[in-house]
Amino acid sequence: MARYAMVTDLTRCVGCQACTAACNAEWDVPPGQARTRVLPTGAVGKFPHLRSAFYVAQCNHCDDAPCLSPCPSGATFRAENGIVKIDRNLCIGCGFCVQACPYEARYLNPATKKVDKCDFCSARLERGRQPACVTTCTGHAKYFGDLEDPGSDVYRLVYSGGAQRIESDDVKVGPNVYYAGRRGEPELVAQMFPPRQPQLPSSGQWWSKVVKPLALAMVGATFAGQAIAFFTQLRKGEGQFDE
Amino acid sequence: MPQGISRRNWFRATSAAAATTAAATATTTPGQRAGQPALQVATNCEMCFWRCGALAQIQNGRVARIEGNPQHPLTQGRLCARGNAGHQTLYDPDRLKRPQLRTGARGEGRFQEISWEQALDWFAARLSDLKSKYGPESVAILPHGVSSGFFSTLMKAYGTPNSAEPAFAQCRGPREVGYALTFGRGVGSPEPLDLANAKAVVLIGSHLGENVFTSQITQFADGLSKGAQLIVVDPRFSTAASKATQWLPIRPGTDIALLLAWMNVILAEGLEDKDYLAKHAHGLDELRAHVKPFTPEWASAETELPAAQIRDTARMMAAAKPAVVLHPGRHVTWYGDDTQRARAMAILTALLGAWGRSGGVLLPTALKRGSFKLPPFPESKRGRADGAGTTYPLASEEQGVTNGIVEATLTAQPYPIKSWIVYGQNVLESIPQRERTLAAIKLLDLFVVVDILPVEQTLYADLILPEATYLERYDAPHIVESAARPFISLRQPAVAPLHDSRPGWWIAKQMAARLGLDAWFPWKNPDEHLSKLIEPMGISLSELKARGAMAFEGRPTIEQRTEADGPLFPTESGKIELSSKTLKELGHDPIPIYHPPADPPPGWFRLLYGRAPVHSFARTENNALLNGLMSENTVWMNDHAARDLGLAPGARIVLQNSDGSESLPVAVQPTAAIRKDCVYMAHGFGQQAPGLHKANARGASDTPLISRVKIDPLMGGTGMRVNFVRVKPEVHT
Repeated sequence: MARYAMVTDLTRCVGCQACTAACNAEWDVPPGQARTRVLPTGAVGKFPHLRSAFYVAQCNHCDDAPCLSPCPSGATFRAENGIVKIDRNLCIGCGFCVQACPYEARYLNPATKKVDKCDFCSARLERGRQPACVTTCTGHAKYFGDLEDPGSDVYRLVYSGGAQRIESDDVKVGPNVYYAGRRGEPELVAQMFPPRQPQLPSSGQWWSKVVKPLALAMVGATFAGQAIAFFTQLRKGEGQFDE
Repeated sequence: MPQGISRRNWFRATSAAAATTAAATATTTPGQRAGQPALQVATNCEMCFWRCGALAQIQNGRVARIEGNPQHPLTQGRLCARGNAGHQTLYDPDRLKRPQLRTGARGEGRFQEISWEQALDWFAARLSDLKSKYGPESVAILPHGVSSGFFSTLMKAYGTPNSAEPAFAQCRGPREVGYALTFGRGVGSPEPLDLANAKAVVLIGSHLGENVFTSQITQFADGLSKGAQLIVVDPRFSTAASKATQWLPIRPGTDIALLLAWMNVILAEGLEDKDYLAKHAHGLDELRAHVKPFTPEWASAETELPAAQIRDTARMMAAAKPAVVLHPGRHVTWYGDDTQRARAMAILTALLGAWGRSGGVLLPTALKRGSFKLPPFPESKRGRADGAGTTYPLASEEQGVTNGIVEATLTAQPYPIKSWIVYGQNVLESIPQRERTLAAIKLLDLFVVVDILPVEQTLYADLILPEATYLERYDAPHIVESAARPFISLRQPAVAPLHDSRPGWWIAKQMAARLGLDAWFPWKNPDEHLSKLIEPMGISLSELKARGAMAFEGRPTIEQRTEADGPLFPTESGKIELSSKTLKELGHDPIPIYHPPADPPPGWFRLLYGRAPVHSFARTENNALLNGLMSENTVWMNDHAARDLGLAPGARIVLQNSDGSESLPVAVQPTAAIRKDCVYMAHGFGQQAPGLHKANARGASDTPLISRVKIDPLMGGTGMRVNFVRVKPEVHT
């Protein structure tokens, strides 16, 4: 089974945001939000001895993804190929996963009231295409592939090209997005944008965001509603990445 | 089984809400549409002038997505943020939708919608009036972009020589002239720089990275990955500077001093490409004598750069010769001596043997193109009004001098200009000295704007003609000779024009019919126009349409040139002119001389401006996607200078220039990444156009702050980095 990973070569990245724009266009991301974003570290050091780099941030599809367990509906799940996905049909928009993500890679879409994030462009992968950010990147800075495939660019970059994870001493959750750079850019990015401690929902949040709305929904649902739901689901069948 | 999955089943079974939502959202997800578009149209992008190969994906009659065209020989499937957002310009709700005739006062913004028939009849009648009253020369056309050729043909046929585009006098004019004086030909666009194979890249005032041209970025990154040395000269720690082996935070306006010192080191240490110069160059002894006094120690005092760094970087580029790209820049109208600065860069390029060499600057390969037999254009007895060829002896008569047109309009010298027709640009943002441009517009008898969006200038127009966007129209194809492999790339409509907009070619052709100028438009439709053009290229129209672009064999290096390519250096001497006879005859310095710039007084900053990667000019700020990425600019200010002024990050300030002209309020961005003597902002913001609902009054524009310019006496370019600004003191009441 594939183990998908992304590597961004920050020496090649000029921060042009083509990746963000392509992703926003591909996924109808509302203005001001993003599934992948480009964050400048800003100038670090003392004039004229300065350094700076761009952090191309996105979902890291972590091995120990802290977003999985707080999800009350199970909408967030990991597919067998390692991609952490959101079943939009199940997401109740509680936002617990948004606050749990150490990389701030998730957002609550105000239009759909669902959480959204990078899924490595799974829909494109299914058609044999690379993620939209990879194919458009003006610096050819992004590589996507299978870490189980020794012939892949990501394999080479991760196992012999010095590509690194953005981790801190406190937060090591096995991200599968890596960063390379000839000039210490990954270290600078890790210093300026260390992953934060995952925040778990409080009991108050559980009550207001999950239990109460759910109870109301159940009380309100008529028998007919249940029947329609049941037959709709039956006709539709299971999603392609279901267990 | 992971914990999450069982909860999924539980939720699915119990929640009616979840299931009904599922039914509602089970239609195609956005990402799926990109995998299998119903129809794909290959065209080229017009979000900037690089015109990358694009594939417009059509679903349900709409452009759902635009991706790069992998078959485009130069851009190879890559699109920048703007290219990816093109459909948001197409579907911008603020677009100009129907022809409009002014009913209120100029600037008031009151218009009446009319039909195309009425609009074009009215326009043609006014042009005929002007011709009989003041002569055809009284009408000037201010075009920009790939379809401007149709309007230029129309106006030439009408009888006016007055055509001027900002691409020359506000952009790359000095570079084209400076390099042509040296090598016999300008650099051309796209710049044929062999960045991928360069061993050293020198950027002097070029903010590549913030200035994004897809293929140039790709090749730049390729060069860096292969270990090219990068030398960046910029008062600002730019994106490129962050990747540099050496960053030279130069004192603004002293580039010629640095360039002369680099030449001094290279010639003093015998590091020049001796064989290349012996074979191809003329005037080396004069140059050697000229640069002798300009030591790194001398330049250090002017540039505020360490002499050792000047020496080291000269040696660094010499060690890489001839595989050195000294980037000629693009917007280079800065200080009024810009042609001479471009000359200095061209001469240095020659010393390194890099012109026409692999890893350096490549040579164009001519492409044969077909053309219709047109009647000769009427000759003007009065000549040009903008000074091209006269006041500005080396200005391009093809591209003209926009500010010369403004000047002639204001002064009625050498004769009155009574009408402007603007196509594909926003003159209030593209030409500096905004107040003068506005004053000139107010003097016009006829001001017609062909545009896509209600940009500020449309408020002053007598007639607004809504053009179709690049995704809805055919344009003249992009024929590029200045590339390793020359190519032709097609612009063809992905969808039919929305609203009541029309393609530029159609408007021009319709006007020609009304003015009795049909003979200059002998083609019935775009296919006929295109077929004629590609006739000698040996390619089929259907294949071109399917692929979007086709490339031909190039001979980009001196070693590859043949007789068919003509003279290697089409200068007067047939050689590289290190010392210019032309300039000497015109009474100018045959080899560049350095003139020190004025320093800003205490408390004032030199105003610098540039590009943001997600926007083009003042053209894209209203695009929903791009506006979401960057809706306002900021003012970069040295962090110590900001602290001295008591300005915290994000504080909103108003900039005021030496003439009292002010910006709109804008956030300050204190940073160590800029010198203390200048401030910097991205161009294109702070537009004053209420019809642009997303862009109006967001951020600050540099054009009102550029109330002074220093004109390049050789080509008429407006040196625009000569304005000082300060933070407007707060008024306490």
